[in-house]
Amino acid sequence: MTRVLDARGIEMVFHNGDEETRVLNGIDLTLDRGELAALLGASGSGKSTFLSIVGLLLRPTAGELTISGEPVGGLSEARRADFRNRRLGFVFQFHHLLPDFTAVENVAFPAAAPAGGISRDMRSRARDLLTRVGLEDRIDFPAARLSGGQKQRVAIARALMNRPDLIIADEPTGNLDRESADRVLDLMREVNREDGATFLICTHDEGVAARCSRRLTLSDGRLASNVSVAVDDPSV
Amino acid sequence: MFALKVARRYLLSNPSQTLLLIAGVALGVTVFIFITALIAGLAVRLTEQVTGNSAHVSLEPPARLARVLKGPDLPVESVALISTFQRRQIRDWPMVLDLLRADTDVSAISAQISGSAFLVKSEAVSPVSIIGVEPQGIDAISRITPNIVDGGGDLGADGLLIGVRLAEDLGLGAGQSVLLRTERGVERQLTVRGVFRTGLQSLDERVAFLSLQTARPLFLLPEGVTNIEVKLRDPGDARATALFLAEATGLRATPWQEKNLGLEDALQAQAQTGTLIQVFSLISIVIGVSSALVLSAYRRRPEIGIMRAFGVPGGFILWVFLLQGLLIGLTGALIGCATGYGLCLWLAGITKPDGVQALPIAPEQGGYVAALLLTTLGAVIASILPARSASRLDPLEAIQQ
Repeated sequence: MTRVLDARGIEMVFHNGDEETRVLNGIDLTLDRGELAALLGASGSGKSTFLSIVGLLLRPTAGELTISGEPVGGLSEARRADFRNRRLGFVFQFHHLLPDFTAVENVAFPAAAPAGGISRDMRSRARDLLTRVGLEDRIDFPAARLSGGQKQRVAIARALMNRPDLIIADEPTGNLDRESADRVLDLMREVNREDGATFLICTHDEGVAARCSRRLTLSDGRLASNVSVAVDDPSV
Repeated sequence: MFALKVARRYLLSNPSQTLLLIAGVALGVTVFIFITALIAGLAVRLTEQVTGNSAHVSLEPPARLARVLKGPDLPVESVALISTFQRRQIRDWPMVLDLLRADTDVSAISAQISGSAFLVKSEAVSPVSIIGVEPQGIDAISRITPNIVDGGGDLGADGLLIGVRLAEDLGLGAGQSVLLRTERGVERQLTVRGVFRTGLQSLDERVAFLSLQTARPLFLLPEGVTNIEVKLRDPGDARATALFLAEATGLRATPWQEKNLGLEDALQAQAQTGTLIQVFSLISIVIGVSSALVLSAYRRRPEIGIMRAFGVPGGFILWVFLLQGLLIGLTGALIGCATGYGLCLWLAGITKPDGVQALPIAPEQGGYVAALLLTTLGAVIASILPARSASRLDPLEAIQQ
């Protein structure tokens, strides 16, 4: 099994004047290709901070991080940005689509911006991804006019655009109604199952966690539990 | 270029704000052009008023310098005396005229004998500047015959044309005779053939024209002339032409600017005032564009944050904002240039009852290229600050906003 994430002794301490807040206290975690992992924990347990560190949006105070076999701790900001672009995908609670662009343009954006334009291949892949997330009739629709659930599905398609090794999702269903949330989660599971994409999903929702193959619980900045569960029935 | 596409979309996403922004830039450019055209028009009008009835370059014999005499017969160094009786003159003036006629920048030439004299009519005596000219070339430098208000413009053998103020002072009219007494003590009875009114006090009050042939015996100049007056197609070339003519002829060549230093100072002060207004117009454009883009960058922080999270390079975001500045500046400048030109044309067409332009505006001298380049450059510079701040945005902070 290919190791996608290898985090060792991740610590994070925030300083505010003389005050020191220890948010992460030595987290060790590995994820293999094709895993669908839920990261649970109470508010303030350090979930989002850990997710930001894994997403290379934040540098840990201590610890080593290896993604897809590449140690990323010493990378410059420019290299980290490039790494995020090529290897990581993001789905946030608030989709943050570009409202002035169409669905297909939003999906193609992570590939188009560094390349200087949307190529025929990029557009084709973006269309395929939108079809896959069930938005084939919204391909050239302005993002601003999509519903919340549709926007989040576009965000998932966007996260998949550059074929990332690891997709980091921060409360991806937290802003959706139950029905939309289920569709989004089904979609992530489908991509996970069919493409072997690796997901690390930060959630408060036990229902979401129950449909993941791994449950990680953070408590007081430590990994309190790390349980693999068999989720055989895709409809669960 | 994808950044250009994004920049264009950003601007089109809020059309009313973009239109207002472009309108503000266009207004600044219109003011810039109006001021530039007005200053240029004023300069042209003032220059025309000053040079319209006078020469652009005056050629005179070189100043005579006292020579130091040395020799074995002279016990001490001596200085040769300069005769003040012998009048300085340009003897080979026909050759100089040939040279001037060959110069395509020269539009008119007048070889003259100038001197001082008194006009005596009964008890009334008035000092006068005499200008002896070729009769057919009397209007070469000053428009005299079109401004005759009494009599005609034909000088004849003993004719005299005088200004209206001089005629009033002496109680003279066309057809009347008057005694002319020159600085050389030569006297002659002449006939006033015509009275002119140019509107220039210096001409109307103190100048009398007669023919070159009539002037020769009066000023004891059987061959030469005292000065050659030159008009150029472009008065602005006077300094360069004067330099060239001084070298080519050995004569003293004086451009009109040196005779009107006050005017040059006034024109410079006027130009500086115009430059100040132009600079403030540009500053207001820069501030307007910059503040609008700063607001836009702030409003789009989450979007920019997500782009940064996806690893979109900071340089791309920098370009998006720089190009927004460029598009706003260029569009505003083009509209402003068109509006400014239209405004200047309209104002230039407004005339007073006497047919003179109400505003001395020169629409063709609006500085359009400068306005276009400076405004576009200014708008791009204005976008640097918001562009840099957007490109350096911390993605995490922006997403959590």
